[in-house]
Amino acid sequence: MSETVRVGLKYCGGCNPEYDRVALVRHIEESLQDRVEFVTPESEGVGLILAVEGCSTACADLSAFQGMEIRVITNIEAGDRFIQEIRAQEE
Amino acid sequence: MAMMTAEQYEESLRRLNLVVYMFGKRIDNVVDDPIIRPSMNAVAKTYELAHRPEHEDIMTATSHITGKRINRFTHIHQSIEDLVKKSKMGRLLGRETGCCFQRCVGMDALNALSIVTFDIDAQHGTEYYKRFMKYLAYVQENDFTVDGAMTDPKGDRSLPPHKQADPDQFMHVVEEKKDGIVVRGAKAHQTGAVNSHEIIIMPTLAMRQEDKDYAISFALPSDAEGITYIMGRQSCDTRKLEGGTMDQGNLLFGGHEALVVFDDVFVPWDRVFMFKEYEFSRQLVEQFAAYHRQSYACKVGVGDVIIGAAQTAAEYNGVERASHIKDKIVEMNHLNETLYCGCIACASEGHKEPSGTYCVNILLANVHKHNVTRFPYEISRLAQDIAGGLMVTLPSEKDLQSPETAKWLKKYFEAHHEIPTEHRMHILRLIENLTLGTAATNYLTESMHGAGSPQAQRIMISRRINMHEKQRAAKKLCGIEE
Repeated sequence: MSETVRVGLKYCGGCNPEYDRVALVRHIEESLQDRVEFVTPESEGVGLILAVEGCSTACADLSAFQGMEIRVITNIEAGDRFIQEIRAQEE
Repeated sequence: MAMMTAEQYEESLRRLNLVVYMFGKRIDNVVDDPIIRPSMNAVAKTYELAHRPEHEDIMTATSHITGKRINRFTHIHQSIEDLVKKSKMGRLLGRETGCCFQRCVGMDALNALSIVTFDIDAQHGTEYYKRFMKYLAYVQENDFTVDGAMTDPKGDRSLPPHKQADPDQFMHVVEEKKDGIVVRGAKAHQTGAVNSHEIIIMPTLAMRQEDKDYAISFALPSDAEGITYIMGRQSCDTRKLEGGTMDQGNLLFGGHEALVVFDDVFVPWDRVFMFKEYEFSRQLVEQFAAYHRQSYACKVGVGDVIIGAAQTAAEYNGVERASHIKDKIVEMNHLNETLYCGCIACASEGHKEPSGTYCVNILLANVHKHNVTRFPYEISRLAQDIAGGLMVTLPSEKDLQSPETAKWLKKYFEAHHEIPTEHRMHILRLIENLTLGTAATNYLTESMHGAGSPQAQRIMISRRINMHEKQRAAKKLCGIEE
């Protein structure tokens, strides 16, 4: 059985988002509750940063996470792809 | 304390001892006054969102003084990215509140002073920048809301300050003391004044040597002795006294303005940032105004709300598929996003000043604000067109609750059969609020005159345009050699 991944959650500021970012994160969290633990990006033991961007401009400041593995989501479909990617790691 | 929560902000206001008058009476409890409280809610939103992960990237910044995380409203812009995020923050908060959230003017005053105090020192060998930075650290550490106050009453507009029959028409020094100065005058139209912990005074126009007593800038606690606030009225303001959950339109948020009178108020020297250096008054006015004209990014967010309301009203009326309605919605979006282009452009084309502060492109900031003096009016006209006349003929919420009349209102004001009549009434009240009611103060007339009336922007546009280069380009293409 795969172990839980601590994912640091980093949002953009949400000035004019094209979808409900918080709802999408909730959906991802529910879909991957046995695989992923969402934490603040500054938390200990973060294995991956998930940048949740409201649009393709993707302006969230990720400079603090240089050298870390980062996944960027700019729409709902990308959220689903993230779920599939994590699920695929189980197999 | 690095960043206050919304609750801490509200409690901090309760500790102030402001002298506030409204409807001819002194207001003892400003925070809970039903007319003022929605405006406090709007400022509180600037504190609340700074603590939310989904907004902190815009709402917070890293202090260049302490390296601590601070609310962006107390930040001095350190990069183009900071300027762009400021514009985005305006849109976000405009959409979240549907009104003026009042805190940008203090941020703009702080940034302008961070430039001008540095430049005055470079020319005069003074220590204004050091004073200012100490004050800035105090503001950041306490996460204060600051009122940036520029507009004097101005008396006879044809006369400069020193020729006014009443010298108090412009804020001026009446006494110099060993430990500070005594000032007298007033600042008009002060947005968010009674929701602020501090007030920063700046001269209202470019001064000449004869006006040097008026070329002053300083900061005071908002409850300093001798300061009196007289609240401005807003259209439909007393609907807030009626209770209910419909007729206010915007149930949570609003703005306010006040006349702020300074009746011989003492200012200690460590809070004085300009003292008779009249030749820098123009720079302070222009740079503050440019920052503040950028701040009208907020109207894009309010525009998002009114467009959303118009679309909803169209759907409730069952006309959303009509081609002319679709076209009007497109036009509203075109105008609103054009405004967004301006506030992003003036930020993206910003530059670094000698003090290290990044300043917006002044020409583009003025072009942006000039568009703001026009487009919200057209967006409002289209919203009213789509909403229909019921927006202004709708009976009150109390009629909807009355057993004698409720059945008639529900029967005859139902449109789409799946939409409760109450929903239709709510959305029409919101459009009324934004285009005719309390929020029209900010969405319309503030768009016209706030941060300077249209002519002020036209003057700046004429000053900043490089006409020679345009003529050179034209002459070159048609073969004129000089």
